[in-house]
Amino acid sequence: MPENDHYVIIGNGPAGNHAAATLRQKDKDAKITIISDECVPYYYKPRLTDFIAGEIAKEDLMVNFQDVKDIRIRCGQAVKRIDPDSKLLFLQHMEKIEFSKLIIASGSRARVLPTMSGYADHLKFVTSYTDVMEYKEEIRKAENFFIFGGDLVGFKFFKMLNSMDKTVTIMIDPDAFWPYRLTRDMLEQISENLLKFNTEIIVKDEVLSIDRQNGSYRVKTRKGIEKNVDMVLSFNGLNPNIEFAKGSGIDIDYGILVDEYLKTNVDGIYACGSCAQIYNQAIKSYTTSIGWPNAVVQGEVAALNLLGDHKIIESVGQKYFDLEGVKIKTTWWEDINEDNDA
Amino acid sequence: MKKNDLYSKEETFFQSKNKIYSAQSVKQIVYSTDIRDFGQVAKSIPCQDACPAKTNIPGYIRAVFEKRYGRAYELNRSANILPGVLGRICARPCESSCRHGETDNGQSVGICHLKRSCADLKPSSHRIIEGLYTPTEKKVAVIGSGPAGLAAAHDLSILGHKVVIFEGMDKPGGMLMYGIPEFRLPRDLLMLEIQNILRLGIQLKTNTAIGSDISFAQLKKEYDAVVVATGCVSPRKFDIPGGNLENVYNGLDFMKAVNEGENPFVGDKVIVIGAGFTAVDCARSAIRLGALDVSINIRKTIEYMRIDETEKYEAQFEGIKTYSLIQPSRIIEDNNKVTGIEFQRTRMEKIDKPPYRVSIPIENSQFSVPTDSVIAALGQSPDMSIISKKPDGMDGVFAAGDFVTGSSDVISAIAGGRKCAGKIDEYLVGKKRKRTVVRLENHATTDRQRSYDFIGKVVMNTIDMEKRLSKSTREVETGYNEDQTHEEAKRCYLCNLKYEIDPLVCIYCSACIDVAPKDCIKMIGNIPVNPDGTYGIYEETDDWNQVLSIAIDNAECIRCGQCLAVCPMDCISVTKTELIEIDT
Repeated sequence: MPENDHYVIIGNGPAGNHAAATLRQKDKDAKITIISDECVPYYYKPRLTDFIAGEIAKEDLMVNFQDVKDIRIRCGQAVKRIDPDSKLLFLQHMEKIEFSKLIIASGSRARVLPTMSGYADHLKFVTSYTDVMEYKEEIRKAENFFIFGGDLVGFKFFKMLNSMDKTVTIMIDPDAFWPYRLTRDMLEQISENLLKFNTEIIVKDEVLSIDRQNGSYRVKTRKGIEKNVDMVLSFNGLNPNIEFAKGSGIDIDYGILVDEYLKTNVDGIYACGSCAQIYNQAIKSYTTSIGWPNAVVQGEVAALNLLGDHKIIESVGQKYFDLEGVKIKTTWWEDINEDNDA
Repeated sequence: MKKNDLYSKEETFFQSKNKIYSAQSVKQIVYSTDIRDFGQVAKSIPCQDACPAKTNIPGYIRAVFEKRYGRAYELNRSANILPGVLGRICARPCESSCRHGETDNGQSVGICHLKRSCADLKPSSHRIIEGLYTPTEKKVAVIGSGPAGLAAAHDLSILGHKVVIFEGMDKPGGMLMYGIPEFRLPRDLLMLEIQNILRLGIQLKTNTAIGSDISFAQLKKEYDAVVVATGCVSPRKFDIPGGNLENVYNGLDFMKAVNEGENPFVGDKVIVIGAGFTAVDCARSAIRLGALDVSINIRKTIEYMRIDETEKYEAQFEGIKTYSLIQPSRIIEDNNKVTGIEFQRTRMEKIDKPPYRVSIPIENSQFSVPTDSVIAALGQSPDMSIISKKPDGMDGVFAAGDFVTGSSDVISAIAGGRKCAGKIDEYLVGKKRKRTVVRLENHATTDRQRSYDFIGKVVMNTIDMEKRLSKSTREVETGYNEDQTHEEAKRCYLCNLKYEIDPLVCIYCSACIDVAPKDCIKMIGNIPVNPDGTYGIYEETDDWNQVLSIAIDNAECIRCGQCLAVCPMDCISVTKTELIEIDT
């Protein structure tokens, strides 16, 4: 490998860090840089709810990842644009970074639908360290919550609130797992299983408006339900963070399109983790995976393939998430035929 | 610059050099045909350059800022004849090119919304301006009253020719009337702006089809010139098994039925195939016809959809989902009725000649979904049968708009119609009567404040979902109010103002470089000029022995005016540049 190789990884989550560690393990001399728009080092996102509940300390959120050695980590620096032809990254603060090969592991963020635009300013999200640091005390002090959507993080958050003896109204949106849509049977089964938590469950309804009144929020639904709550949290799935790649010539759909080897259509550029839409030969379609174990393996495979290997990615760890007694696959799209049969 | 082009720009500059910043300065105006001035305008005003009709966008936005809405409307109308219509449904190539949308500059200016504001806010007593030429006694037949036909008819009429428009349908407007849904384009507004064109003395003959009601040969015989502007009306065939079943529509016929007040059956679940505006219009119309689950299905990725962000947003807002990388393979039926559709998955591949990304079907990847109806909006092509017989040659026969270019957009069709009118006029009178020049005028101020650069884009007001469904034709967008209009107008960089440093006066103190928020003021060794008159990449140098000049790169400059404010030598000038038409 030439001495001046510079591997750049966009994203400081499990996919990005494991990609970096693998690159370092296989190539002792290359310059490796991780760029992240978050201002914190590598942390356990799944533990954020435990942190809010007070079950773990702030320090316990941080991942002590010894394998990341001799790697430059640039936090709080957002990539604005990629120019694959000149192999340049343009950062928000107008710096240009040259790369010889690139791994995009930029993850995802809370999905905000156009239908929410009228009240989006009043919604809170729990998708990043910064969100949680901002709302942690507010969540602890608040008594009444309205949870709307209901993805995996949402249900985990709901259980946490329940353990903290908070009053929660939950509105389940079948589209929260978009593009996978919960079937009627699934929705009923989930609702039934949630009843044991002594909470109010709203289904087959939509949020009409959210207004701020004297420090609390008034939520109105299309079917006329009105609730006064202290906080409204949205859990409507995730959107890949890929704006910086638009117009670069890298194939993009909802995420960055990659083949079974996690390679994009541009030589030397790979993508992994929840920002990638991965081609799966078995089902002849693209899938988007979620979950920490998948991200870790994808990071490693992307790094190995970048160095010349030919490993095909397979989903690992939990094949299914248990959503209140209902199994949902960790990859979207695979279920589309089952959905239609339902 | 040619000698007979009034006087040279340089002479003007030196003559007026000491008066540029004086409040009492006399306006110095130059009309230039120098290719470098055209190049400068093209590169420095990218919104105008991207507009097929070359609308003076910074000019009308400045007029909007000054609350001269009538003037702003007329600046628009002089280029695109239907400002109120285009302010609602334009494909907005200008906004994709807007400097404010470049990396680090924020979001592009709401140019289209401001165009609408011109029409919405102009006074009711607004005076329409037309520069009429003496009648020529020449007669021109225009076939088709869509945007291209209307634009051609308008310009020909202005030029003194007697124009008759032949329209096969009941009402004029073509795709504007029958293709675009009323919730995007109110018909009273459309008719008002069409009427403003017809008022020039243009005769409109509706329900008159060429071929059945009057022959093309007869038109050729009776008129000095004939313009074919019938657009693209032949839908691309939906060539899959089951494509002819009941409840399988082509997008154009579906929209025509909806716009004629019919309620075509859609059922609860609707599958729309297509990636353009018609597909979205069909999907949104299906929602208004009572469908509960509507999806748009495309062969490539969402990046390749030929619609703007507003349409994507509105479709999502109305609950329409988009599924990508799939293509239909057959319609599933039961007793001749649609019950489902089979798709095949696709993946993106590169082809080398021409270099392009295409979608390739994946073998054995079929899957099916239930549906009650299918709408295939796959695009359309022109109906060439109208001219296929070629009666006594084609002398005096012209064509414009989508009929020539294939399916495009309204602003391109208007530009095509106007260009065609110019060619016909030249054919009829034997000379070119108008030409485009660059008007250069000294400008005393920057017209902007630095604080304007930080104003966020003003979001268009829309009605809620209940209102959208309660009356299917109700317009979704309600326009900016006057305050919102004024705020959005501030955001325009006014790229028509050209900033220049006089290298003979400059003392190279670098004060302007120090305050510039962008990399827009450069020490240069050379500025290459491209064959089309545009400037190439400025050749910067740090070596003082190589510095030829200090120069403002107007393609980088965001017209903040900081340099002007700090220059101790007053050596930075501002010149307003405009493309205008003058008589030859």
